Amino acid sequence: MTDTVSLTIDDQAVEVPVGTTIWDAARSLGIDIPVLCHSTRMRPVGVCRMCVVDTGVRNLQASCVRPCEEGMAVYTDSEKVRRNRRMLLELLLADYPAPGNREATTGDDELLALARDYGVEHSRFQASASAAPAPVDDSSPVIVVDHAACILCDRCIRGCDELQHNDVMTRSGKGAATHIAFDLDVPMGESTCVACGECQAVCPTGALTNRSLHGLHVLAEDRE
Amino acid sequence: MELLNRLMAVQHRKGALTDDVLRGLSREWRVPLYRLEGLRSFYPVFRDQPGAPRRLSVCRDVACRMAAGPDFAERVAQAMMGFDGIEVESVSCLGLCHAAPAALAGDVPVSGSPERLRDGMSGRQPQPLVGDPPAGVAAVDPYRGADGHYGTLVELLDGGRPESVIETLEASGLRGMGGAGFPTGRKWRFTRAASGGPRTVVCNADESEPGTFKDRLLLERAPHLVIEAMIIGGWVIGASHGIIYLRHEYEHAREALHKALERARADGYIGSNIRGSGFDFELDLFISPGGYIMGEETALLEGLEDRRGEPRNKPPFPTQVGYNGGPTLMNNVETFALIPRILQDGAEGWKARGREGYSGLKFLSVSGDVAAPGVYCVPAGTPIRDVIERAGGMAGGRSLYAFCPGGASTPFLPAALADTPVDFDALAQAGAGLGSGALFVVGSGRDLLDLAIQQVRFFRNESCGKCVPCRTGSAQAVSKLEAAQAGAPEEGLTELLEALDETLVQTSICGLGQVALTPIMGLLRHFPDEAARLRRPHD
Ligand SMILES: Cc1cc2nc3c(=O)[nH]c(=O)nc-3n(C[C@H](O)[C@H](O)[C@H](O)COP(=O)(O)O)c2cc1C
Ligand code: SF4
Ligand code: SF4
Ligand code: FES
Repeated sequence: MTDTVSLTIDDQAVEVPVGTTIWDAARSLGIDIPVLCHSTRMRPVGVCRMCVVDTGVRNLQASCVRPCEEGMAVYTDSEKVRRNRRMLLELLLADYPAPGNREATTGDDELLALARDYGVEHSRFQASASAAPAPVDDSSPVIVVDHAACILCDRCIRGCDELQHNDVMTRSGKGAATHIAFDLDVPMGESTCVACGECQAVCPTGALTNRSLHGLHVLAEDRE
Repeated sequence: MELLNRLMAVQHRKGALTDDVLRGLSREWRVPLYRLEGLRSFYPVFRDQPGAPRRLSVCRDVACRMAAGPDFAERVAQAMMGFDGIEVESVSCLGLCHAAPAALAGDVPVSGSPERLRDGMSGRQPQPLVGDPPAGVAAVDPYRGADGHYGTLVELLDGGRPESVIETLEASGLRGMGGAGFPTGRKWRFTRAASGGPRTVVCNADESEPGTFKDRLLLERAPHLVIEAMIIGGWVIGASHGIIYLRHEYEHAREALHKALERARADGYIGSNIRGSGFDFELDLFISPGGYIMGEETALLEGLEDRRGEPRNKPPFPTQVGYNGGPTLMNNVETFALIPRILQDGAEGWKARGREGYSGLKFLSVSGDVAAPGVYCVPAGTPIRDVIERAGGMAGGRSLYAFCPGGASTPFLPAALADTPVDFDALAQAGAGLGSGALFVVGSGRDLLDLAIQQVRFFRNESCGKCVPCRTGSAQAVSKLEAAQAGAPEEGLTELLEALDETLVQTSICGLGQVALTPIMGLLRHFPDEAARLRRPHD
């Protein structure tokens, strides 16, 4: 068995160790594939689908989770790929409270940046009712949660449970009612959150931001 | 399995997993709260507050909607007003489509008018129990009576070759009956060849595709065939553990399986050193905590591993990396149930059971506007029109308008295509598919757009919520379709839906999102009159 595979990405040849994802292989060639849920610090989960690429099979493949295969010919930026990414952006923007807390303050909202790159200015879809118990949760001494801006990328959850091992966050509910939750879906400030800030640091949108950005005081840690 | 089994036991005992209960369990079991919340909020059997002592779960999907109208559940709830201790909820297809409109009273299948259901629930009259429909099971049972059961297994253990089982399955042309139609022999070959462990055989008995109830009847009436094929599967792929993943609403099937498993164990077909062959096989029955998505093979595996039932990204496929990371042979109930017959017949004998050059037999769950809905076992290649005749012909003096041949995941086809033979490829060529073999028949005068929208709603209701296209796209599609149905299709709606369908097909993680708009795409393609209702007059 060989331990590398050879393939082409946007017509450039590359050889990578078996098991390498298309996204990593592309990066080694200097090709940037857009992501929202993926972070190089985390286990890829492949949920936002923004990183889809064309490998010539029936469906587009999420490059952050798709291992390279021998002889693959991958296209990362075809019209078909771009068209589907635009639709995903439109779906996400439908109920996005633009510009949102992150863009309005630190200006590094990754969703809005991608939407600009793809020329998606408005969505043909309407906002739907938020699935979370309350749209905005500012009960935490440090972090403000805006559920309406959450795209369920799972970064905060992986950051909390898998990077920091604080074991506080989960997805709660199912289908369109899915939302991020703390412990048994209690307000963040009432949960076992230790305010490490990891979730807010990895969040690509305005869903988790620092209180100070809202003109709110960061509260002194008042729990035991 | 362990954590979910424990949670289900507590839910059963206490009637709810309240916050207080979960806090206690979290300390006792040393499981973080977030994990318990993730499970409680995902699976429909769990409730965070106890409900009324008696519950009636009324089906809202196509066969029942067509039989009793879109507001059936509300009418039932109204009829029940003033009766204390009774709760009415509307639920997805219960696999009781032959008895439409159907409901579950607790776990007892019932059917009837709102008033009749009320009288059953309140105890004024006996419950209006669902009758036993035709099932055609005898056609595939190679044994005369219980004494002959497991005869194929015994022959194999006595000097047979695993390789020859795979060869027979390959040559028979058998394909997966759970919906995807993957060649069964090839799946068994891949799994046998895969390295590593633990090695497991799983029977997918989560049957929840609207209109599908063949697996339920097979399990109720011939559980030994499924059990035997699973043991043979274990022997072929080198697994000593099997799991039957059963839909929780299937109480009769659970009882039948339980009995058959006990008997097989007592007779020495399950356990260690089966019939002195040195081969060991244990078989567990796991009851699903609920939800259509759990039938998707990797969601099912996530459930078995005590997580939220969110499908995995593939590859790797379960044949390589399945239950607990090892190779897993997963087949549908019907796929397994056919195998003893195929091994007895031999590949050629099995193929000859089909007609017009098509191979083998096929179970179809027939529901909708037919006189005798039920499960029919027909030779592959039988024209759809003849299947409708077998099911008593059209009911209520209607003529055939449309049919959906393979469950909500396959589109409706017009009456003009009713000569299409029952076969995976032939139905795919006609623009649909055989799917799970659920033939839903729609007569003239029915509101097909309404039924198609209900199918999209079903997918929205059952989406797991993991990936963006399906979670958001299915909900957006439903709200646009509902607006159009209310009389105001927006400008360019059909183009938008076509584009959304492309993204659902191209980017969704699993088959649910990929087919979520199929019902509407079928109308746009095959039913110009229905499609016109989604366009503005001047579009
Ligand atoms: C959303 C969804 C639901 C499914 N539900 C079922 C089911 O209830 N039963 C089943 O056997 N297969 C179901 N399948 C198909 C399984 O993923 C898998 O293909 C099948 O169990 C394999 O067995 P087979 O090859 O014998 O058909 C479902 C697939 C999807 C995408
Ligand atoms: S809060 Fe932010 S990081 Fe967490 S899932 Fe939502 S968008 Fe992702
Ligand atoms: S397609 Fe739908 S059901 Fe499947 S993983 Fe995505 S959200 Fe879940
Ligand atoms: S970045 Fe790959 S699916 Fe989100």
